[in-house]
Amino acid sequence: MSNLEKKISLPSEAVKIYQIIDENAKISIKELEKQTKLDRGKLEYYLGFLVTNELISRLEIVSHQIYLTNNGKEAAEDQLVERRIAKILKEKVGVSFTDLSKLVKTENKEMNAGVGLLKKQGLIKIDKGQISLIDKKKEVNKELQTILEQLLSGKTVDTSDFNEILLQRNLASLEEVKDILLEILIPYKEVSSSIQKMNEVSRLTPEMIRDGSWRDTRLREYNLKASPPTFYGGRKQPYAEFLDEVKQKLCALGFKEMRGPIVELEFWNFDALFQAQNHSAREWSDVYQVSNPKQGKLPKADYVENVKKAHEYGYDTGSKGWRYKWDPIKSAQLVLRAHGTSVSARTLVDLEVPSKYFSISRCYRPDTVDATHLCEFTQVEGIVVDPSITFRDLLGILKAFAVDIAENEHFKFKPDYYPFTEPSVELNVLDPNLGWIEFGGAGIFRPEVTKPFGIEAPVIAWGLGIERLFMVKNGITDIRELFSHKFDWLRTAKMSRG
Amino acid sequence: MVSIKASYKKMQEMLGKQLSIEQLEDLLSYAKSEIDQYIEEEDMLVIDIKTSNRPDLWSPEGMIREIKGILEEESGIPEYEVKESGYVVKVDSQLASTRPYIACAVAKNISLTDYYIKQIMQLSEKIDYSYGRQRKRSSIGFYNLSMIKSPIEYKVIEETHEFIPLESTEKMSLERILEEHEKGKEFGHIIKGYGHYPILLSADGTTLSLPPVINSNDVGKITEETTGSLIEVTGTNFETVNVVLNILCQVLVTHGAEIYSVKIEYPPDIYTRSVITPLFDKEEIEINLDVVNKYLGTKMKPKDAAKLVAKRRFNCNSIDSNILTIEIPPYRKDILHWVDIAEELAIALDYNKIGPTKWKVLTTGGLLPETESENLVRNILVGAGGTEVLTNILTDPEILTTKVNIDKQEYVRIENPVTSTYSVMRKMIYPLLINVLSKNTHETYPQMLFEVGEIVKLIDKKVVTQSNAAFLCADADASFEDTHKRLNQLLSLLDTDYEIKQINHPSFTEGRCGLILIENKKCGIIGEIHPSILENNQIWVPVVGFEIELPLIPSLKCNVKSTD
Repeated sequence: MSNLEKKISLPSEAVKIYQIIDENAKISIKELEKQTKLDRGKLEYYLGFLVTNELISRLEIVSHQIYLTNNGKEAAEDQLVERRIAKILKEKVGVSFTDLSKLVKTENKEMNAGVGLLKKQGLIKIDKGQISLIDKKKEVNKELQTILEQLLSGKTVDTSDFNEILLQRNLASLEEVKDILLEILIPYKEVSSSIQKMNEVSRLTPEMIRDGSWRDTRLREYNLKASPPTFYGGRKQPYAEFLDEVKQKLCALGFKEMRGPIVELEFWNFDALFQAQNHSAREWSDVYQVSNPKQGKLPKADYVENVKKAHEYGYDTGSKGWRYKWDPIKSAQLVLRAHGTSVSARTLVDLEVPSKYFSISRCYRPDTVDATHLCEFTQVEGIVVDPSITFRDLLGILKAFAVDIAENEHFKFKPDYYPFTEPSVELNVLDPNLGWIEFGGAGIFRPEVTKPFGIEAPVIAWGLGIERLFMVKNGITDIRELFSHKFDWLRTAKMSRG
Repeated sequence: MVSIKASYKKMQEMLGKQLSIEQLEDLLSYAKSEIDQYIEEEDMLVIDIKTSNRPDLWSPEGMIREIKGILEEESGIPEYEVKESGYVVKVDSQLASTRPYIACAVAKNISLTDYYIKQIMQLSEKIDYSYGRQRKRSSIGFYNLSMIKSPIEYKVIEETHEFIPLESTEKMSLERILEEHEKGKEFGHIIKGYGHYPILLSADGTTLSLPPVINSNDVGKITEETTGSLIEVTGTNFETVNVVLNILCQVLVTHGAEIYSVKIEYPPDIYTRSVITPLFDKEEIEINLDVVNKYLGTKMKPKDAAKLVAKRRFNCNSIDSNILTIEIPPYRKDILHWVDIAEELAIALDYNKIGPTKWKVLTTGGLLPETESENLVRNILVGAGGTEVLTNILTDPEILTTKVNIDKQEYVRIENPVTSTYSVMRKMIYPLLINVLSKNTHETYPQMLFEVGEIVKLIDKKVVTQSNAAFLCADADASFEDTHKRLNQLLSLLDTDYEIKQINHPSFTEGRCGLILIENKKCGIIGEIHPSILENNQIWVPVVGFEIELPLIPSLKCNVKSTD
C-alpha cells in the first residue's frame, strides 16, 4: 500500500508546516522556526508526524562556518594593521619604527607583524632604520579588508580563498555548525486529498474521562527525549544511610545496640578502662574538657571503689596496678566522649553473659580539622562476652567484620596497642587501589577492666574504622565531606552499594 | 602514638640485610610500629610507634632489638657488663617533696657519628615529652664526662646562681633563664611549681644543668668527639628514672659503648639506702601456661612457650610443670599482669598463623528502641521531602547565638577548645540548619532539610544528651503552612495530639511563631524565621520550620541520657 492510497492523520499545525516546507522544497529548521513562530520543542513534535509518514526528510547537516575572532572584529572596524601603517607612510616619508609605533597606536607585537607583512609583500623599504613606502598608490590587502567588513556586517560571504590567511592571522576561526535540513519528499498537492486533520489535545482532563470524549480525542504525544525538569526528593544523608546499613549488618551478626551520653565522666572514659590518671591521653591536648559544668557525680557503687583499687594495686586481679593514689575528683571531671569504648565501659555494669553489643557514637578529640582529621567523628565499637571466648575467637570476629562489613576477603592481623586490652590486634584489609588499610582493632579487656565490675568471663572489645570504609567505597578523599553542608552532594550523591 | 624519623639505609645496615619498604614494614609490625612515610630523597623513614607504654621501642635500636628476636638472630634479655665508675651523686634532702629521684650511668668508649647522636637526642626528646610527661615525670641529660668531677651534687640552689645555658653565650641567673631562655619559658613552670631551683653541680662547682629545664652549654652536650659521657635522668618516681636510664644505656651498648655504674647517695627521707644505677632489678613474673592457653585458644607446651618468650627478648628462668617464671628486661615496665605475657606469646606465634575460629557466641541482635524511634521520624521527614543533613554537635557559639538573634545563654562549654568554631555543645539543631542554608544560596530552591540528632543541655545543673528533630523549608513561596502541614503529618502519624500556642521568640517573626505543646508540655517550636536572621545569613528567601524534642513525644521511645 503506498502513501497515496492511505489516509494520513495529521494535526492541523503539522499540515501548515508541511505546506511551508513544500513551498520552499528545502528549508533549514532555524528558518522554519522563524516562519512558524513555534518553539523548537513543538516544531520537532509536529515534524515527527511528517517524517513518520515519509512526507519529508530530516537531515542533520554539519557545516563549517567562519567566525570573526576579537582580533578580526578589531581589524574590520579599525582596518588591518598593515593598512594603518601604510596609511601613515603615505603621508610621511621615512619614519622610525618607534615613531611609527606611536602613530599607529598599537602594541609592539602587532606592529612587528604589520611591518613584517609589508616587507614580505615588497611594499616598504627600511633604510637606516627609517621606513618608507615603495609605491604610494598601491592598495594594501584590500580584498582581505573587504571580506572582514562583510563578515562583521553579517553578510553571507564566500571566504574560501581567504580561509587560510584568516585562520593563520587569527582573524577568524572555523566553527562547526550543526543544522537540520528539511526536504520535501512528496509534494503537498499529491497527498492533500488523503490528509485528515486530527482533533488533538495535550492534557487528559477529568471531564474527558468522565464524559468519554477521550475516545474521539488524540492525546498529543509526549516528547520522550526531552530532559525532565530538575527534581530533588527527600532522602537520607548518604553517610547516615551508610551507618544505618552498618547497624543493620551488626544486628544481623547478633549484636545489640548500646548508647551513652556525649558528655562523659572521666571515670567511664578512662578510669574504668584502666587508663592511669596521669596517662598522656588524659592531657588537655588529647581530650576535650567541659568547663560548664566541670564536674559530674561518680556513681555510688562498689565498682568505683574496685576501679580505684585496680589502679592503685591491681585489685584482686594479680596485676601490679599503676601504684599511685587514685583521685576520685579527677575521675568525676566531665569530658566529651573521646572514644566509643566509654559506652562499652558503661555496659560492663550488670553485663549479661553471653552477649554481644555495638554502638555507633559521635566522639571528640581536640584536633585541628583538615582533610584527614575531624574533632567530631564517628566510632563503631562494641564488646563480645562469653565464658569460653579466646583470643582465636577474637580473630574470628575480626575476620567476620572484614568479610561481612568491609566485604573484603583479603585481611591480615598486626600487633596493636590499647591501654585497656591485652592482647591487642589491628585488622588490615587489602584495598585494590590503596593497598593495605587499617579497618579495625580489637583486644581482650584487661582483667583490671572487667574484674572491678564482677565479670569473670573474658570480654572482647572491638572497634571499626567505618569512616575510612565509607570514604574508600565512595571515592571521598576529604573526611570533612562526611558532614558536608553542600546541597549539591546531599542531593545528588549516589546511593549505589560499593 | 609516637613518631620518629630514621634512615632507611641505616635501618638495613643495623639489621644486616637489604629489605624492601614492605618487608621492613612487615618486620616493624612486631615492634607495633608502621611506616607512615618514606622520603626517598632524604633516605628518611617516618615511623609511627603505637605503644605509649614502651619507650624502649621509640628508637631504631629498640625496634631492631625486637625484630632480631622475631628473626631468631638474637634471643632473651640482652646482657652487658657494668663496671663501677667510681662516680657518686649526692642528693639533697630538700628535693624530697619536688623532684627527688635521679639515676645516672657513665658511658665510655663512645664513638658515635653525627647521625646516631641525633638519633639518641630524638629518643631523649620523645621520652621526655611523652613518657616523661613533658619533663614533669622525668627528663634526660647527657654530659661530657671529662669535664665532671665526682662527687656530683644534686641539690637546691638560690635563684641568683649563674651558668651559661645551652644555645647561649653569656652567663645567666637561674631566674633569668626561666624568664628569657626558650627552654626556660617552655619548662620553667615545672620549677616554679617546686618553689625552689634544683641544680646538678660537679665537685669543682661547675654547673651540669638546671633539671628539667636546660643543660650547661659546655659540659652539657655530646658531639662526635665525645668518648665518655655521664647520663642522668631526674624525676618524680624512681622506677621511671631508672627504666629510662636503662633504655638509654641499652641503645649506647648497641653502638659498642661500655657502661659504668654510678652510686646515688640518697638522704634517708628520700630513699632508705644508696642505689647503684643503672639498677637491674631482675623483675620476674609467673605464668600458668594452662591459663594462658585457655585465654588465647592455643596449645603451647612449656618448652615452646619458653622459646617463644625468648623470641620476645624475655628470659624463661624456670619451668615447673605448667608454671613458667619469666624474667622481664630492665628496660620494660609495661608488664603488669600475666595477660601482658600472653600477648607476647601470641605475637611470637604470629597473629596470622594462630588462625581465627568460626563465629560462635550466638545471640540475638537489635537496635535500641530509641534508634528505631529516631528512624521512624527520619523516614517521615524524608517522605515530607526533606534532605537529611548531619551537622556538628560541638559547634560555634556564633551559629547558636548571634546568627539566630539569641543572646548569650547557658550552653555546655569546652574548657580547652582548639578554635572557637568548635567550643560549645548545641542544645537546639535549627541554628545549624540555618547555617547550612546560608552556605547553599546558589543551589536551587525549594530547599527542605532536616536533622534528627543529639543535643546536649543542662537540666537542673546536670548534663544530659537527648535527640531532637528539626525541619526547615526555604523557598520564595514558603509559608507557615508548609511547615505546619509537615509537623501535623509527623505528629498524626505518630498518633500524638498537640496544640500550638502563640509566643514570641527572637529567632522567629512576631505573630508567626508558636510553641508546640503535647499534653500541655512545651516540647518544641514552629514558625517563620525572622527576616533579620535571613539578612544576616544572606538567605534571600523566606524560611519556615520547626524543632521538636523527641523524648517528649509519648509514642516514641527516646530518652534523656544523664551523664551522672
